[in-house]
Amino acid sequence: MTTTIDKVLLLACAAILCVLPFFVSGYVLFIVNLLMVYVVLALGLHIALGETGQFALAHIAFYGIGIYTAGIINSTWQVNVVISILAGALLAGAVGYILGALAIRMRDIYLALSTFAFGEAMQWVFLNWVSVTNGSDGYRLSPSHFFGYEFTSDVRAYPFVVVVTALILWLTVHLSRSQLGSAFRAVRESDVAAQAMGVNVNVTKRVAFMLSAAYAGLAGGLYTTFSSFIHPDSLGFQATVLILIMVVVGGIGSVRGAIAGAIIFGLISELLRQVLSFQEIIYGAILILFMMFAPKGLFGEARYAKIPIAKKTAGAAQDENNAVEHKA
Amino acid sequence: MSADTLLSIENLTVKFGGLTAIKDLSFQVEKGRIHALIGPNGAGKSTTFNCVSRYYNPTSGRVSFNGNDITHRPAHDIAGLGIARTFQNLELFNELTVMDNVLLGTYTHGARSVLKRLQRPDGETRDFAESLLERVGLLEYRHYRANGLDFGRQKMLELARALAIKPTLLLLDEPAAGLRNREIDSLDRILTELVARDGVTVLLVEHVMQLVMAISQRITVMSFGEKIAEGTPAEIRCNERVIEAYLGKGEGND
Repeated sequence: MTTTIDKVLLLACAAILCVLPFFVSGYVLFIVNLLMVYVVLALGLHIALGETGQFALAHIAFYGIGIYTAGIINSTWQVNVVISILAGALLAGAVGYILGALAIRMRDIYLALSTFAFGEAMQWVFLNWVSVTNGSDGYRLSPSHFFGYEFTSDVRAYPFVVVVTALILWLTVHLSRSQLGSAFRAVRESDVAAQAMGVNVNVTKRVAFMLSAAYAGLAGGLYTTFSSFIHPDSLGFQATVLILIMVVVGGIGSVRGAIAGAIIFGLISELLRQVLSFQEIIYGAILILFMMFAPKGLFGEARYAKIPIAKKTAGAAQDENNAVEHKA
Repeated sequence: MSADTLLSIENLTVKFGGLTAIKDLSFQVEKGRIHALIGPNGAGKSTTFNCVSRYYNPTSGRVSFNGNDITHRPAHDIAGLGIARTFQNLELFNELTVMDNVLLGTYTHGARSVLKRLQRPDGETRDFAESLLERVGLLEYRHYRANGLDFGRQKMLELARALAIKPTLLLLDEPAAGLRNREIDSLDRILTELVARDGVTVLLVEHVMQLVMAISQRITVMSFGEKIAEGTPAEIRCNERVIEAYLGKGEGND
């Protein structure tokens, strides 16, 4: 039943996204493009945090790697945007794999702290490697092209951004249903049992880190197709927290949640662009409210409320009651 | 070591700091048998078990399976070799469904290519998982979350998940602990059938003597990290050292 709702929602979204460019201004399309980037970022964090249970806080660093890599390739070689985006995703994925290999020795708060430190270090690199990133003056992104089609405005980049995001969503769902996705969740639930099933826990965690980072790098590449400027200030801890809140409030472990969170908080962050300090208060308040009243997030519950089979024996009905009590 | 030996433990010693949990332990498990490992609490049964499943590294000694030394194989290789285990204190994938738990047991089946990892389990695999759930009586709960089941059913789920590995050696760590009599009876039936029909070899750590005496063909008794007796249930029943180790508890009934 939930899959039917998903299909209807997806079709509705697709229809809206198709007709949108004919009715709204470039600014609205810029926002939608940005929301798509947030969706890809949130889906990336979903793989590490939601599926694999790894509290990694370096997501924005990989986003930054994706932006600078794609941006620099675009302005230096004017290659097809697909190549520059893939290069950014690959580099971010490679760095993510290395970070993962080092970080998986730690867990929980230690993992969070070490990946947080990596994120901060990367921001420092973006700020101080002036010859490459132009440091605190910010980096001007030149328009990229897709088989000769120039991304000179938000409207022109819009179809490309939407299609790539849709592909990433498809990939995420497919991945989640694959054996690899099962292995991710097995590691999240019990690494001892995962090992006993033949899952190589260390390799699985590294792959999760790599994919998560590659998603972020790809999101960075997407950003370069419609934006003309990047400053290291927007690649700091605040941005990491924003993505984290998207996933947590959406519901850790849920693809729907990651998307809903990305859209809701993407919109809030854009609406409150003028009042930055106020923005953080609002995020904080929403996060506290969710932690208090709905710690599983908007869609977290969907993962639990597996509908038991229709035909049940008296014993099964009894157990279902137990299961419900257990949940409460 | 005879040709019928499936698992061989030779001079195994495990030390945790200054504490010697297992001292120079040797025994063999023969193919197609239910071999029980019993002894009072703290005798080193679970430690032995964890060395075989490669969860612990022995200080010295050797564990070999089918003639191959597995003493230093990584823990995730063990399932692929055909050794499955259950855990003393349930280790299920709690928030996954009953079905997904069993499907994870099939992780090592078939070709282990990247391409296969990127696909979902095929229909045949799902049928196989369902047949195992049916065998332990959990088919109707397949869409439940694992921790939505009661304790006895969670134990059965662990058994089904271990069987999904298609093991030649099944390591069961106190499978009957906390089960009701009726559940112990069905465990008895399932295990006996496994050995008779599928030729699975079972190494069993268990405190419930009713089950041990009923189904095992061979028993190794440990006390304070050492083997104090080995033999058939009838021999163990009247072994003086065993009775002594259980402090006059007669036949060791709990």
